[in-house]
Amino acid sequence: MTTGKSIHLRSVHKAWGEAVSLRGIDLEIPANKFTTILGPSGCGKSTTLRIIAGLEEATSGTVEIGGADVTTRPASGRDIAMVFQSYALFPHLSVAENIVFGLRVRRMGRAERDAKLKQTAEMLGLSHLLDRKPSQLSGGQQQRVALGRAIVADKSIFLMDEPLSNLDAKLRTEMREEIRDLQKRLGVTMVYVTHDQVEAVTMADQIVLMNEGRIEQIATPREIYSRPETLFTAKFIGTPPMGTCRAGVLGVARDDITLGVRPEALMIDPTGPINATISHIEYLGADAMIDCRIGDQVLPCRVPGRTELAIGARISLSVAPDDLHAFDTASGRRLDEFPPEFAAFFSSQTTAPKGPIASSTER
Amino acid sequence: METARRQWIYAWLMLSPAMVLLITFTHYPAVQTIVNSFYSTPRGRRKAVWIGLDNYQTLLLDDVFWKVLANNFWYAVWTIPLSIILSLAMALWVNDKLRGRGFLRMAYFTPTVLPLIAVANIWLFFYTPGFGLIDQIRGLFGLPEQNWMGSPDTALYSMIAVAVWKEAGFFMIFYLAALQTIPPSLREAADIEGASRWYYFRRVLFPLLMPTTLFVSINAVINSFRLVDHIFVMTEGGPNNASSLLLFYIYEVAFDYWDTAYAATLTVVMIAVLILLAIGQFFLFDRRVHYK
Repeated sequence: MTTGKSIHLRSVHKAWGEAVSLRGIDLEIPANKFTTILGPSGCGKSTTLRIIAGLEEATSGTVEIGGADVTTRPASGRDIAMVFQSYALFPHLSVAENIVFGLRVRRMGRAERDAKLKQTAEMLGLSHLLDRKPSQLSGGQQQRVALGRAIVADKSIFLMDEPLSNLDAKLRTEMREEIRDLQKRLGVTMVYVTHDQVEAVTMADQIVLMNEGRIEQIATPREIYSRPETLFTAKFIGTPPMGTCRAGVLGVARDDITLGVRPEALMIDPTGPINATISHIEYLGADAMIDCRIGDQVLPCRVPGRTELAIGARISLSVAPDDLHAFDTASGRRLDEFPPEFAAFFSSQTTAPKGPIASSTER
Repeated sequence: METARRQWIYAWLMLSPAMVLLITFTHYPAVQTIVNSFYSTPRGRRKAVWIGLDNYQTLLLDDVFWKVLANNFWYAVWTIPLSIILSLAMALWVNDKLRGRGFLRMAYFTPTVLPLIAVANIWLFFYTPGFGLIDQIRGLFGLPEQNWMGSPDTALYSMIAVAVWKEAGFFMIFYLAALQTIPPSLREAADIEGASRWYYFRRVLFPLLMPTTLFVSINAVINSFRLVDHIFVMTEGGPNNASSLLLFYIYEVAFDYWDTAYAATLTVVMIAVLILLAIGQFFLFDRRVHYK
């Protein structure tokens, strides 16, 4: 069994002529952990992965793998295996030949090669397909062959570029678990690029959220959901995403602050301090999403699907202070503490936030 | 019932223009050629008469026929692999990201666009003894004059060089198109495994180009019998038939000596050879070609 290696990117920039892709990436990926790089398309996540792989050269900055500077090393000298979005299987070679391609390049002896092939094929349930060509396989089977090629190479780091995006939803759920198990079993460092937050949240030990060539936040799935550091993160993570509105909605005269509330944190509460009108209802089965109009602002709220509420109804809402997020409107950064102006709002509710504000509010 | 018949009429109407042209100018002449090869050549008031296999007997005893057949063999043996290797090399080169790639592609394709007659005239100047381009360069190194087209030893090879130069650019286009359908991620996957450029070419690229190679090689075989325009301009088959090819000889027999029946016989032989070669190629390649 191999052991993982850590990866360290230091102020990595990448530009193609005028087009800037990465604007300074500082990133530490711990050994033996599952890290996903998440972000909308065009955010630079694939470029980051390809720079780690050595398929793309950084315009400036350094890449370290296992403590060694590999910035100028070719892909084959970086102790990495990679699974491509398109799988990159060689269409004219059989499944067996695809898996042992790299072993042949390294001139491994026949006996050892066959043993490794057998072991890998069994691990992935490909034993009965070894003579097939990739075109005779289903998408999920092709995906397994691509995984097999990575596993058989015995590398410390697995890089995956949206490996599940070509599979149907059911298969994707299965493969998600399988890849997660595989990482645990092999003890490798996994770097997994995806634009699908469900994949990121369910699989990762650590999520790296990127946007426009920068890192927005590096955190565990729980932390990135419960404590988004920026407005972008708040609006990107969660389905549906966090609702945002101006501070004025809570009667706080601070136009420089944007508030965020997750739809499930907004409570219908007859004694709540926020008065709203229902402007839209979307029925989702177990749940329904209602749009609560508060002045000229709209906040989404998640209610049980069997709700009796109707469009135009007037309701009162409350939100637990812990579920309220405040961001600086101009920079989009999270505010660690609520300014004193919020004290009045919190005191009007039954619960008060912990921390500095709590001490200054009366119950 | 009525609509079925109407559709049937439409189908024939649609087919007929192409069919009329093909039958008049391809199928009928082809059949007529085979028929003619069993008759004598009509001369003056003497009509063509059935002579069975007499023409084929003449052919077996015709030294010039065997000479041009051998010439054609060597012509094919050199032009086919040379033009394929050259075109593949050029395609691989201009498929890379490099400066002036568009210009290079155009430059390589130019010989294909030029009429072979014009090309032949350019090469006529290259080969001219004494002040031709090649001899001028040889002169710089103190080498003697060389009559490339006038010497029986070099005449055929001079023609081969022109044909390769003319064909390689054309075949390059097919290789280039095929190369661009191969996803770059295959190269990257091989890179990660540490495969060298040559290893990648040998194990991945060349096998994936096999369908193109089959297509190109069949074309090259046909061209090695068909491309004779430059011989009219440059050597007229001389000296002493050293650079004469089968098709050129057929033309001579038919339109210089007006022995049309014998020309028909030669044509039948040439078509038979081409058919055999094409069938052979399909069987030879079939196992090694991976079609997507």
